[in-house]
Amino acid sequence: MKRWSIHLVPTALFLSATAQAAEVNGIVFFESKIRPLLIERCVECHGEKKHKGDLRLDSRAAWQKGGESGAVITPGDPEASLLIKAVRYADKDLQMPPKRQLAPEEIATLEQWVKMGAPDPRDANAPAPSKSVDFVEGRKQWAFQPVGHPQPPNFAPEPSNGHELDRFVFARLREARLQASAPADRRTLIRRVTFDLLGLPPTAEEVDAFVRDKTPDAFAKVVDRLLGSPHYGEHWARHWLDVARYSDTKGYVYAREEKQFVHAWPYRDWVVRALNDDMPYDRFLLLQLAADQVEPAASPHLAAMGFLTLGRRFLGVTHDIIDDRIDVVLRTTQALTVACARCHDHKFDPISTRDYYALYGVFQSCAEALVPCSAAKNEELTALLNKNRELITKRREEQMARTHSRMSDYLDAQSALEKYPKEGFDQILEANDLNPFIVHHFTSWLKKGGITAGEVKAMSPSDLDRLFAGIDSPVHVPDEHIANIEMYFPTNITTELWKAQGEVDRYLLQTASAPAYATVLQDRPLPTTPRVFKRGNPLTKGEEVPRRFLQVLAGDQPQPFVNGSGRLELAQAIIAPGNPLTARVMVNRVWMQHFGRGLITTPSDFGKRAEPPSHPELLDWLARRFMDEGWSLKSLHRRILLSATYQQSSLASAATKAQELDPDNRLLWRMNTHRLSFEEMRDAWLAATEELDLHVGGKPAELFASGNVRRTLYARVDREHLPTVMRTFDFANPDLTIPQRNDTIVPQQALFGLNHPFLAARAKAVMRRIGDTDDAGRVRRLYELLFQRKPTSAEMDAALAFVQPESPAPAKREKPNAWQYGYGEWDEVAGRMKSFTALPLFNGTAWQGGEEWPDKKLGWAQLTARGGHPGNDQSHAVARRWVAPQDGSYAIASTLIHEPAAGDGIRAFISHSGRGLLRSTTLHHSTAALNVEAMPLSAGDTLDFVVDIRDGLNSDQFVWSPKIFIVASGGSGGDDAPSWDAQKDFAGPNSAPLSLWQQLAQTLMLTNEFVFVD
Amino acid sequence: MNSAMPPLTRRDFLRRSGIGFGMLGLAGLCGPQTANAITTRGPHFAPKAKRVIHFFLNGGPSHVDTFDPKPALLKYAGKPLPQTLLTERKTGAAFPSPFKFERSGQSGIEVSELFAKTAQHIDDIAVIRSMQAQVPNHEPSLMLMNCGDSIQTRPSLGSWLMYGLGTENQNLPGFVAMCPGGSPIKGAENWQSAFLPGAYQGTYVDSQHTTVDRLIENIRSSHAAPEAQRRQLDLLRTLNQAHRRERLDPRLDARIESFELAFRMQTEAADAFDVSREPQHVRDLYGSGVHGRQTLIARRLLERGVRFVQLWHGAGQPWDNHEKIEENHRKLSAELDQPIAALLGDLKSRGMLEDTLVIWGGEFGRTPTVEMSGSTSKLGRDHNHYGFSVWMAGGGIKGGTIHGSTDEFGFAAVENPVSVHDLHATILHLMGLDHERLTYRYSGRDFRLTDVEGNVVKEILA
Repeated sequence: MKRWSIHLVPTALFLSATAQAAEVNGIVFFESKIRPLLIERCVECHGEKKHKGDLRLDSRAAWQKGGESGAVITPGDPEASLLIKAVRYADKDLQMPPKRQLAPEEIATLEQWVKMGAPDPRDANAPAPSKSVDFVEGRKQWAFQPVGHPQPPNFAPEPSNGHELDRFVFARLREARLQASAPADRRTLIRRVTFDLLGLPPTAEEVDAFVRDKTPDAFAKVVDRLLGSPHYGEHWARHWLDVARYSDTKGYVYAREEKQFVHAWPYRDWVVRALNDDMPYDRFLLLQLAADQVEPAASPHLAAMGFLTLGRRFLGVTHDIIDDRIDVVLRTTQALTVACARCHDHKFDPISTRDYYALYGVFQSCAEALVPCSAAKNEELTALLNKNRELITKRREEQMARTHSRMSDYLDAQSALEKYPKEGFDQILEANDLNPFIVHHFTSWLKKGGITAGEVKAMSPSDLDRLFAGIDSPVHVPDEHIANIEMYFPTNITTELWKAQGEVDRYLLQTASAPAYATVLQDRPLPTTPRVFKRGNPLTKGEEVPRRFLQVLAGDQPQPFVNGSGRLELAQAIIAPGNPLTARVMVNRVWMQHFGRGLITTPSDFGKRAEPPSHPELLDWLARRFMDEGWSLKSLHRRILLSATYQQSSLASAATKAQELDPDNRLLWRMNTHRLSFEEMRDAWLAATEELDLHVGGKPAELFASGNVRRTLYARVDREHLPTVMRTFDFANPDLTIPQRNDTIVPQQALFGLNHPFLAARAKAVMRRIGDTDDAGRVRRLYELLFQRKPTSAEMDAALAFVQPESPAPAKREKPNAWQYGYGEWDEVAGRMKSFTALPLFNGTAWQGGEEWPDKKLGWAQLTARGGHPGNDQSHAVARRWVAPQDGSYAIASTLIHEPAAGDGIRAFISHSGRGLLRSTTLHHSTAALNVEAMPLSAGDTLDFVVDIRDGLNSDQFVWSPKIFIVASGGSGGDDAPSWDAQKDFAGPNSAPLSLWQQLAQTLMLTNEFVFVD
Repeated sequence: MNSAMPPLTRRDFLRRSGIGFGMLGLAGLCGPQTANAITTRGPHFAPKAKRVIHFFLNGGPSHVDTFDPKPALLKYAGKPLPQTLLTERKTGAAFPSPFKFERSGQSGIEVSELFAKTAQHIDDIAVIRSMQAQVPNHEPSLMLMNCGDSIQTRPSLGSWLMYGLGTENQNLPGFVAMCPGGSPIKGAENWQSAFLPGAYQGTYVDSQHTTVDRLIENIRSSHAAPEAQRRQLDLLRTLNQAHRRERLDPRLDARIESFELAFRMQTEAADAFDVSREPQHVRDLYGSGVHGRQTLIARRLLERGVRFVQLWHGAGQPWDNHEKIEENHRKLSAELDQPIAALLGDLKSRGMLEDTLVIWGGEFGRTPTVEMSGSTSKLGRDHNHYGFSVWMAGGGIKGGTIHGSTDEFGFAAVENPVSVHDLHATILHLMGLDHERLTYRYSGRDFRLTDVEGNVVKEILA
């Protein structure tokens, strides 16, 4: 049972100062020995599922109550305890567990536990099972209590600078007989706060200036400077995007649909701007939930609603899309796991299924719409939009006519509903099929109207027409974006409509001058009154509930929302100053980013199972100030950063008393170290080499596209194909709201650092930047650039020793990389390429147009070690180019294979920069040898190995990896004469070996000092 | 889920013991000695199997053409069945299998000629003929089979095994998903870790490649030789140790150690993925095709302590034979039959079959009726989630067993239906894990692979 053997550190610090060791030990004993034993051997029959003999052993209250035979445990007295008697097998009629007796040491353990008084903490987590949620009891939980008006304790020892915040922390430390650490040194402090606010390192000059600034408000000035930086918004936006499950793509969708969101980056940039502008947090939330109702048309703030509309598409299943929205809103703003109540009342928190479906109704009453969020006009786009709109209108009208004409079939179908599966069971539907979605639509419409299918059928045609004319009738197809109404149509029409929408989407995505668009939610003209889905199943509907806010917060007579969907009212309930959660939740998130851990350790769950706050009064004090000061995040940062608590040193020795008493540093007797996130690390490497492109905002780019030196915030987040590197470094999973990232250390991270070309390229860049100077000077400059400090003499010696080769390197004949990989059009007349453009991306195994293959611009064009694939037309032939390094006589040996039987095959050419065409062939489903015997070349001459698609794009992949030999050169030929092998030499950019200096630079970039912030 | 007393998860322990949430990664992933990576952790009870290899026939292999003979279809050949169930597309008349079935082994279980070589091992195999999924669509069914939920983002089986058991070889990724020539439908979601740490996700390997640096990301440096890296690592260690001195954070040690692990991984992974190190007769046994090679690589990985290897048939969904099933299934099974048979024999001769669980199956089966295009037969079969076959062999499995059955035509499971949750519960059970206790707290809930369902299929246990 290794799982249970994790060493338990006493939790005494969280009990009162006089907490008795015995109690702690008892609980430790219970957790390590008793709980596993009970789970393993007893609870299967005496737990929630079965309670044999009416006895349960899964909570303290349960065993205290006892079973059919009365009490089973007499705390302190094993001999008097029925449980002990039973496990001893002393009585033939009372032997537990019945199948196999416990081991002697297990029995002894139980005896010891009873003797200790049977300590058992299992009540906090085990609410009495009840049929309905007890809201009165639930509201007693601290998180639902109003935010108080606590005053700082009247206590302020050194090194507090009189900051009120410190009085809370230091008083708590004193209670535990601990004290805060000394202030961090200036260099540490500015590095800490710069990463903390900007996600970037300070420059050596900034460090220097701060270290020399002797004015009392030197640090405050640094904080102000950083808060004024446009990069502050970028860094803190990423924290918000983690909880907003931000992605630039939709995740898996059927091929008919454009995979990228058109409105993702406008949302991301809106968040950046809002934070830079210090937009009040209540307004920040309001706009994200209901900008459509408080802002005029074309307002840039409409982009804020990406918060609701950037979730996964769940293959179009409405219930799951709505569930995602409920989850992201309530966990992010309220730290409540409301989505738990989708199938049954929340097991721990005062949230009922009625609450869930009350919110479900809000989102069900909203439809997605694509709207401009700038005033810019664009005629091309308008034309596309109109065309799309005409098509969708036509198809809607046709569908309505189709449903109308089949009305009696739809009514008949009501008696055989089992034939019509629910959403999520996708059938390929033809125009003459009854549409299951519409069948179910009829069902709920009939139920709502209180009439039967038979009664409707008996009506006169004119009555029927009147009945079905309304926009709430099941015949009606709403006038909405295809995303909302795709299930109304036969499959081929849905495909057609998505393709038409795709043209609009791709225009927005690919046109540089396209105006920004937002995908918002808009209230539907007729809001829905939701019904509870029993056990979450949309086909078994239960009682109706009005759209409204959560009962635990809105009171026992929660007022129904009356304004449209109620989304605006929902937003207002969330940002109401009386809401006990909103400010606390955000204050805690900010605290967590500054200190590495929140005052509440589960930032998106303030429910019953969350650990209570470590400093409840401090939390309330911060939350109260936050609201009083107009929900200003920048003021909140200032309040925290200027405290002595924040400015403490993180250094400590393992032997200190504090480390013994509070190893987890919950009481903040020192600062926590921070490990750079993936984004911070990549940005810091690029900053050290001065390559980092700091312009703010814009469309995303592939993370490792060559030449991408923008901040990592702007790397494309593709939730379906997130680069492995990002997952390896604990990047927030874009499918889920992530309140705090995992923090893992695994060798794959080290492999990235050692072997990925990205870091090697940075090592080269930093040495380029340093340039020529004496060895000691280079080392000093490296340390300044990477660590903003001077090396110690030991470090200097180690670095200088490292760059001295141990033995003179053998005089190897240098073989520079002679290959280039490009595309262009073959010129038949000239017998050479019309142009040669380098393929832009190396993905680790292939050169191609972009991360995705086929690429939007360059199509299937690709070159790999063994061969490749030409681009989609003759103007996109692929070409492997070889550059002669020296004068000499060369030979070429190569075999070209075109395998597939499909298609019409390929054309291939070898050409010389001067002489033009050397060899050519047209090949289909066969093999050709393309060789050239001795041929004189001058240094710099090129040989191109070109393939195009011939006439048609179909199965044009080929295998072709030429070898080139020196037959005779100005020097000596012979066995060690260099040769080139397209397959062996195949490589990405920057693959030249690192020099010793570059190796040194790479090593320093990988040090813990670089990656951790004190 | 037991709400009154939630099973204690590792995370609960960490939380209660004061090792905070933020430290989970380190504490959660690090064993006591190495303070690093994903070390072995104990199961709930003695496991029957220590490792798993899963042949995933993506697209959906037809059960009535492989492991579930339905002679009754002959009676109805060309005629409509008494009842045709709703599937994704329209199907028509009964479509008897064009393949011959033969009894094999002591158990005499009938297997079609498509898997004649595999059939030689039938006495080690338990065939579940009554599997059921939820809908007749690939995407949700792939998610269900791999992650236990059709729609929501949940960790995959392999990630759960990594979380529950860790790996036995820190120098190799513990969960490997191989697919030649690209990705299956839904790509990396099939081996996602969802809310579990990223380190538990499957490592994807495109097995059409033959060199190790193409097989595993970042496994080789193109810019520094191993000797040069060794010098770099020595300097790195020196600098990190000096830095470590006045600091407390155990992550610093973990990161120091991770570089040494990475360095060893480079050698060990190269070795594990290099099938040329196998004797010729073994390579011949598995066959020269890409499936033979990826199966042989898989065996080398399992041998070295990799916990879970999933072998996908190919990019997209090769087994999705809506048309010309005779031709297509014959071609696909020809690629797979020999490697599977070779693996079963090879594992057995190495004494590894007894604690290696071998799983064969797709995301669903196929209809016993023929798929139509208008009024024309496409000579193929549509998706069928109502009933299909999955088989398991090896660690803890009662060989030569048939469990459950479909109706006389093979449309729906009728006897002892087995849900995907049941299958998962059984796999976890064989690995020594109680599916009700393998939980992870996320978003206020203790999540399980089997959600709130799942029963171990005891009848197929040895």
